Amino acid sequence: MENILEISGLNKAYDGFALKDVSFSLPKGFIMGFVGENGSGKTTTIRSILNMAKIDSGKITVFGLDSVSDTIEIKERLGVVFDSLYLAEHLNIKQIEQQLKPFYKDWDSGEFFRRIKEFDLPENKKVGDFSKGMKMKLMIAIALSHNAELIILDEPTSGLDPVARDELLDILTEYIEDENRGVLFSTHITADVERIADYVTILHNGKVWYTGTKDELSEGYAVIKGAENDIPPEIKSRLIGFHAYRNGFDALIKTDDLAGIPDTLEYEKASIDEILVYIAKEDKNERHS
Amino acid sequence: MKDILKVMRFDFLTAKPLAFRGFIIVAVICFTLSLFFSPLITSYITFAVLIFIIPLQSVADKSSFNKLYGILPVKRKNITRARFLYLFLAYFFAELLEAVLAVISFNLKMYKLLPNQDGEAVQLFKESFEDTTLIYVMIIGVFAFICLMFSYMEMMAQIFGRENEMKIILITLGVLTAIAILLSVLNNYDMLPPINVPKLPEDIGGRTIVAVIINVIMLGICLLFGEITASKLAKREL
Repeated sequence: MENILEISGLNKAYDGFALKDVSFSLPKGFIMGFVGENGSGKTTTIRSILNMAKIDSGKITVFGLDSVSDTIEIKERLGVVFDSLYLAEHLNIKQIEQQLKPFYKDWDSGEFFRRIKEFDLPENKKVGDFSKGMKMKLMIAIALSHNAELIILDEPTSGLDPVARDELLDILTEYIEDENRGVLFSTHITADVERIADYVTILHNGKVWYTGTKDELSEGYAVIKGAENDIPPEIKSRLIGFHAYRNGFDALIKTDDLAGIPDTLEYEKASIDEILVYIAKEDKNERHS
Repeated sequence: MKDILKVMRFDFLTAKPLAFRGFIIVAVICFTLSLFFSPLITSYITFAVLIFIIPLQSVADKSSFNKLYGILPVKRKNITRARFLYLFLAYFFAELLEAVLAVISFNLKMYKLLPNQDGEAVQLFKESFEDTTLIYVMIIGVFAFICLMFSYMEMMAQIFGRENEMKIILITLGVLTAIAILLSVLNNYDMLPPINVPKLPEDIGGRTIVAVIINVIMLGICLLFGEITASKLAKREL
């Protein structure tokens, strides 16, 4: 499979925060959910892909091109949706279109206004007066109007109502029907990832905790519960985010480690949300609480 | 160069809805007043051009243009260079407009339509319609001053941050005042060599050449400030 995006050994340090050896890749034709708690480094990774942050070491390629030396060509073929609007708020859609079209060789005004109509956005209203959902759709329309082959979305669904979130996910699902495209979708709302992503990368404290298919992730981990005394000692050390309470415990466990656990312990498939919670608990060292 | 033109067009389209009406109103008022009272009044149009420039930064801050600059397929240095060329062209067009309107005003001499032609006020207005030198000096002078001052301010604000703009203005004024005091003290003690200020040419050809030279110098200064700013900003993250 050809990768549309590849990151290998990315390091980037700021005061009090660092991305450490971040590596993952997104094959063409798929959606990757890029998840992690606030401050885990998702936005810094995206800013590095866009060459907005200067990386300390590592390599990022998009469409097989280097993210630093070929950044202009990459941006011609890339659509980006941020969590907030990046356009002049006093302008209307027609004026925005006038501003942006000279920047893209493949800009298609017909496609832009077709999308605007499809998304039911008012052409003569100031974009600053749009709702959050409308702003999101406008940024998507811009990305789709210059035939972007990869769309990167940074927390697009945070603050959206359920209907707008649902619409956005439908748009992305429709977009990815062309197998030469890709979507990198950063969010901390894991329900969205569960719904549309094919691949998942979990970032935790600036490091990749998991990268791979969503199916492998959901098959790979389980939440285990029961009485603490029933845990075999060789299993206990492998539990992630162990949390003991008065009547028992719960923790995350790799499904490979489930062999040999006593029947008195219950387990069920872990959701991405639960995985994130247990990773955070492991960090807080709740084992000793 | 293509990228710079695209960004300048982008800046113009950002400012236009906020500035166009206000600029036209000020230009019409200046021109109307200049017709009756003095062609010198047209030189204030340069100040009206500021409304095409000043809102750009507040819009950029409010609308997170940093993010936009990060995703547009344009070199970051060209975004900065474009801003300085945009500044120069805005003042340059104001200067051209002023020159054209001043010539019209000078030739129409509409002060003659004012009542009480023998009155003191009308005599004063009449004087300003008799000599083109002052009009010429005002238009070129205001253009050069504003161009120099605002491109310098833009450079300092972009390098040191808008929040430090007032500090920069005060430091700049302080340095200029210190230099002026130093020069006047040196002059009082006859420690400065005599300076021969070149005389302004009398003919239109000579004056046109001087105007072109001043415009080219101002363009050069704007581009230089733009280049310095671009190279400083290129090292920073968006």
